[in-house]
Amino acid sequence: MSILVLDILTTSAILFVVAAGLMVILGVMKLINFAHGAFLTVGGYAAFLTTSAGISPWLAAPLAGLFGFASGLVIERLIVRPLYDRPLDAILATWGLGIVIGQLITLAFGRGVQFADSPLTGVTSLLGPDYSAWRIAVSAIAIGVGLALTALLYFTRFGLNARAVIMNEALARGLGIDSVRVRAVTFGLGAGLACAAGALITPLLSVDPNMGLPWLVNSFMLVMVSGVSFPSLALAALAFGGAQVLVSTYVSPIVGGLTIVVLAALVLRVNPKGFARG
Amino acid sequence: MAEPRFALSRAHRTAALGALTAGAVVAVGPLLLDTYMTNILIRALFLAAVVMTVDVLWGYTGVLTFGQSAFFGVGAYACALVFTHYGFGADWGLLALALGIGAAMTIALLTGWLAFFHGASPLYGSIITLALPIVLTQAIFSGGRFTGSSSGLSGFPTWYWPVEVYFWIAGGLLVAVTTLGWLLVRSDFGRVLVAIRENEERCAYLGVPVSRIKIALMMAAAAVAAAAGFGYAAFTNVVAPELAGFLLGTEFLIYTALGGRGTLLGPVLAGVGIDVTASWLSGQLPFLWKLMTGVAFIVVIVLLPRGLAPVFMALGRLIPGGPPEPPAALVAAPRRAGPGAETAAPPLRIEALTRSYGSLQVLKGVTMTGHASELLSVVGPNGVGKTTLMRCVSDGAERSGGTVEINGVALGRGAPQRATAMGVGRSFQNTSLFDSLTVAECLQLARMRVDGARLFHRRDEIRLPEPARDILRATGLDQKLAEETRNLSHGMKRGLELAMVLATEPSVLLLDEPTAGLTKAERGAIGAVLTRLTREFGLCIVLIEHDLDFVREISDRVVVLHQGAILMEGAVEEVVASDLVKAVYAGHGADRGAAA
Repeated sequence: MSILVLDILTTSAILFVVAAGLMVILGVMKLINFAHGAFLTVGGYAAFLTTSAGISPWLAAPLAGLFGFASGLVIERLIVRPLYDRPLDAILATWGLGIVIGQLITLAFGRGVQFADSPLTGVTSLLGPDYSAWRIAVSAIAIGVGLALTALLYFTRFGLNARAVIMNEALARGLGIDSVRVRAVTFGLGAGLACAAGALITPLLSVDPNMGLPWLVNSFMLVMVSGVSFPSLALAALAFGGAQVLVSTYVSPIVGGLTIVVLAALVLRVNPKGFARG
Repeated sequence: MAEPRFALSRAHRTAALGALTAGAVVAVGPLLLDTYMTNILIRALFLAAVVMTVDVLWGYTGVLTFGQSAFFGVGAYACALVFTHYGFGADWGLLALALGIGAAMTIALLTGWLAFFHGASPLYGSIITLALPIVLTQAIFSGGRFTGSSSGLSGFPTWYWPVEVYFWIAGGLLVAVTTLGWLLVRSDFGRVLVAIRENEERCAYLGVPVSRIKIALMMAAAAVAAAAGFGYAAFTNVVAPELAGFLLGTEFLIYTALGGRGTLLGPVLAGVGIDVTASWLSGQLPFLWKLMTGVAFIVVIVLLPRGLAPVFMALGRLIPGGPPEPPAALVAAPRRAGPGAETAAPPLRIEALTRSYGSLQVLKGVTMTGHASELLSVVGPNGVGKTTLMRCVSDGAERSGGTVEINGVALGRGAPQRATAMGVGRSFQNTSLFDSLTVAECLQLARMRVDGARLFHRRDEIRLPEPARDILRATGLDQKLAEETRNLSHGMKRGLELAMVLATEPSVLLLDEPTAGLTKAERGAIGAVLTRLTREFGLCIVLIEHDLDFVREISDRVVVLHQGAILMEGAVEEVVASDLVKAVYAGHGADRGAAA
């Protein structure tokens, strides 16, 4: 496989894993979590703390995920739950949360750039040309996460309840499903996924209080385009991530950085339903 | 402004008084304040003008925009680019200002076209406004030496006037645009904006061109923001990509939310106040200050969704209220020939209409005609596509195939407001009104398509055609014009909805179960009005109804819909007596019946 193909595949996989947490929350709670970028940042700092404490870097993402899940439950109770019936306000509140998290991190760690150790260093020629081993590992993990989430949604009791809440919350409540609990767990799960994703991408980049922001907008666009389904999120990540790599390679990295935003906006204008069911 | 009517209006008097007071404060301000404070305030005043536009867009119209900073940035960069690269002087200054405003309005037009169309979710529009500043910032970054890239432009020639002059310019701009904004939101047009926020769908079906209004509003807001940005750049002599960035855009939202969205003065005062405090405190407590803003923002959103302004107003009645204005009076609208009065074509002609959702075919080739002065009832069990049929007639984008003609004109793919302009009026199965508007305001809104909505003036009469006034009288609504619609009984809500549809002067009236949940007396009153509408006013009424007795009483003709196709069509007695229809309603032997 050529470097370009590997670039496209790994970029798409990274986009997928970064956007997954946002989609989980949007799907069940009909809520755009604007604190997603801040959660990614938290994950990045979790990875930084883990590795600087001398713990194996392989544990960074799971630990970040656990931390995210726990704090997600608390945040849901305090900020998100009172805003269930005001979705646009919930967006703003989560944005405010993002500011607060960003400032707390700045107060604790300063504005400077930090680095976290990577579980895998160097290159591998496993798939042909020499290529960053961690990028390939992250891609494999992303695929695993996608499969695990799909399994969670379709083969577990929680998944069944969540799907019922997605389709018709009032009816689900009538059937005795505790939709408040489903929502709380969902928010925790989404936050945990975001933190874990932040920890996963950190070895590829550096950590700073605003690292999540650029990812927020791209994740956002991908989730809007794909509706609520993991296969279509994967498809959208592949299509737009591929376009981003191509534009960055052949036109310019700055234009490349805008590819997803612009393409997604146009796709949604032409077909408001995006990739969901065609 | 020379019309005597304007001088009499209370809103205009209040606005003039407020503008004069604020103008006096602005005039003496720099004489009392030290230079440091004046400098900080100039920045805050320019930003507050943008916050005002955010409140009109978001607080009043419900368009959550993250992108108002983009237009501010466009104005600022227009100033910096022209003065840096081309020339400086009064003429160049005017040119730069015109360029900035023109560019901002063009970008707003494109953004609006992208963000607002019938059926777009409000979330999508917000995302587009979020993408706008991101795209613009990247464009500035990639501008190289021309735009100064990430470090921006500074030290370009500008007017080195004393700070007092800049203070008066910034303050004058803020007072002027806020006064205009204040009059706008209190005008007929302002009521349309609130109606769009409350129930966009219903607005479209009343013939309000929702998307066009949003785009126009966005362009006006862009022009104000660009003017403020221009002044800001000329004053500070520095521009940077952050001026167009989305962080500033979200700060505008925060100010608006904290001040109290939909109060106009609240966000403006909050904008000035917070920005000044921020400039003060961010020197001493840089990160802590932002943290406090963030926490305050969350607390206000969660606990005080209306912001701080209502709290202040409740505390001390800071903003004088006075007795409420009396509601507008009902007057007769001149009877005019509606659309289709001249043509000989039937008001409604449906040909081979189909509608499918994926593989599910709900309507399978429905062909029917509605004549003038005819009440046509569509009956059939639940789920046969009756409401879908109405939707296809009132919204051109709905149907999958076939044609719909209104008064001989093809509907095409027009949005609901186009169908309304062609003469279709539609009431909904579930009452769909504007909760926070009064009865009088709802009726005036329904008249917007016919009477127009003035930008800075409020009409004090409601012109209604006779049938609409009949409905109001029959349901007792004419005594409740000042009541907010959410306080009405169910029967009155149905009556108001019907009166609103009639106020648009339709020639084809689509009624989806207008009597559901009404008492026998209310039902009788509505039946009488419907009969009169066909007999005296020549309307074509298509009625969906489950109550066969009601149908039998008032219909001229009945169409029976079954499994997405017309099963039977004919005079009332004929259909009601038919075994086929009984079989369909009883739910057995239907297929055998259809085959027979």
